[in-house]
Amino acid sequence: MLIEDLRKQSTPFKLTNIVLASMFLMILSYSWVSTKMSFKELFDGWGYMVSYVSGNPEIEGSSYFPPVLDSADLKNYFWAMVETVQMAVVALVMSVILAVPLSYVTSRNILMILIPGKSVLHEFLRRGLYAIGTFIANVFRSVNELVWALIFVSAVGLGPMAGILALGIHTAGVLSKLLSEGNEAIDPGPVEALTNSGAGFIKILAYAVIPQTMPHFVSMVLYRFESDVRSASILGFVGAGGIGFYLFDKLRGFENGSVCTILIFIIVTVWVLDKLSAVIRRRFI
Amino acid sequence: MIKMKNLVLGYKKEKILKDVNLGIKGGEFIGIIGPSGAGKSTLMMSVVGGIKVFDGKFKVLGHDMDGIKKKKLRKIREQIGIIFQGYNLVDRLSVLDNVISGMLSDIPVARAVLRYYKDKELKKAKEYMDVVDMTKYTAKRCDELSGGQRQRVAIARALAGEPKIILADEPISALDEKSAKKVMDILKRVNQTYGVTIVANLHHLDVAKEYCSRIIGINGGQVVFDGKSCELSSEIVEKIYTTQK
Repeated sequence: MLIEDLRKQSTPFKLTNIVLASMFLMILSYSWVSTKMSFKELFDGWGYMVSYVSGNPEIEGSSYFPPVLDSADLKNYFWAMVETVQMAVVALVMSVILAVPLSYVTSRNILMILIPGKSVLHEFLRRGLYAIGTFIANVFRSVNELVWALIFVSAVGLGPMAGILALGIHTAGVLSKLLSEGNEAIDPGPVEALTNSGAGFIKILAYAVIPQTMPHFVSMVLYRFESDVRSASILGFVGAGGIGFYLFDKLRGFENGSVCTILIFIIVTVWVLDKLSAVIRRRFI
Repeated sequence: MIKMKNLVLGYKKEKILKDVNLGIKGGEFIGIIGPSGAGKSTLMMSVVGGIKVFDGKFKVLGHDMDGIKKKKLRKIREQIGIIFQGYNLVDRLSVLDNVISGMLSDIPVARAVLRYYKDKELKKAKEYMDVVDMTKYTAKRCDELSGGQRQRVAIARALAGEPKIILADEPISALDEKSAKKVMDILKRVNQTYGVTIVANLHHLDVAKEYCSRIIGINGGQVVFDGKSCELSSEIVEKIYTTQK
């Protein structure tokens, strides 16, 4: 083989690479122009942003700074934040209960363990389950939490329960997608070993699949927990409980000092949860 | 234990092994040798099903393998232990859990899921960990072990199912000389102590000669030698390893 052949083989300037890069650039520039994205406008409007954050000196409490530190309000925000985290906890458990089985029927390798066999009927059953599972997961995650919250508020009324159901359903859809990707990346060796020893589906899951997917599972569930806390903090906008109720109320009333206090509560909570997640992750991975 | 008469085996439409005539009795230690792609793994793995029988007769532990039902195949598999080249252990599980995973067919689902083992199961696991000299590592995760240690755990796992036959697919090809010797010594001991039939697919001719009582040589999908290791002359070795056109 000549050096020329090796150069041709290893060059990054292949036709497919050039076509793909050009297509990406075309999509990006078309989207940029269509959405009227402009850094110039951001720089031009910088002053307005600063005056919004610093507020109108004639209107008391319209500035974000200093944050309002009224003790009665702080107590309310604290308990509302606790409720937000509680909503995220219950929603997470609910979503895991829904997402784990969904992730199994949307993982081709797991379906092969559940329904082994090469006949047309086996293939039909696998494809059928996969299609149903994927459809349900897509519906769950395609609809935003806020929309789910509005739907559930109409069913169970105002309060955290609607928020929990909304978060649980949406997160189940997201988690099932993330978990199925982890399921499909497992080493098939241990599964093969247990299948050959005559172990059934549940035992193979318990001994060959779950131990392998555990680090990915923990990582994804913790990530979604942080995400659920963030989402739960705005579900109150539609009356679905949590600190979002206060946030929406204060934003509407231009009480930006209080908005700043609530934002600090949310930021500190997410920061603490992030640190806790890191500790849990280290233990499991 | 295993009977093959005029057997033709393969995958989908491709015939890999042709006209195989073999009979394997209980307690034998058999080494399968041959060049890469000769059909050694196909021959060995056909014993646990999943490989198409095109023609001939094929019986494993008294069961006809041609068109065998899933339930019956599972029963056969429960009596066969397999040792893989890549160990196929669950790295994140402890040595004990990996060994016990070999006897899962005897443990009810609820206890298996909870990993709640009875004394008799733990006793059995300890016995096999003793056999492979891994008792002091029971709590260690398998990803903390060396290749040789992992293969020893894999042998203990295979033994935990109390198999009549152990199939070892290139059990030492990824190991250094010292670890390989230890693994082969253990397999020999298992064969002699428990009377388990061992069929090992081996790349090292010297190892096959040293440990196996019988050697089966395969080339181009056909059995070209079947006899005692002392009968393996250099002409026969050449015949086994010469590339067929």
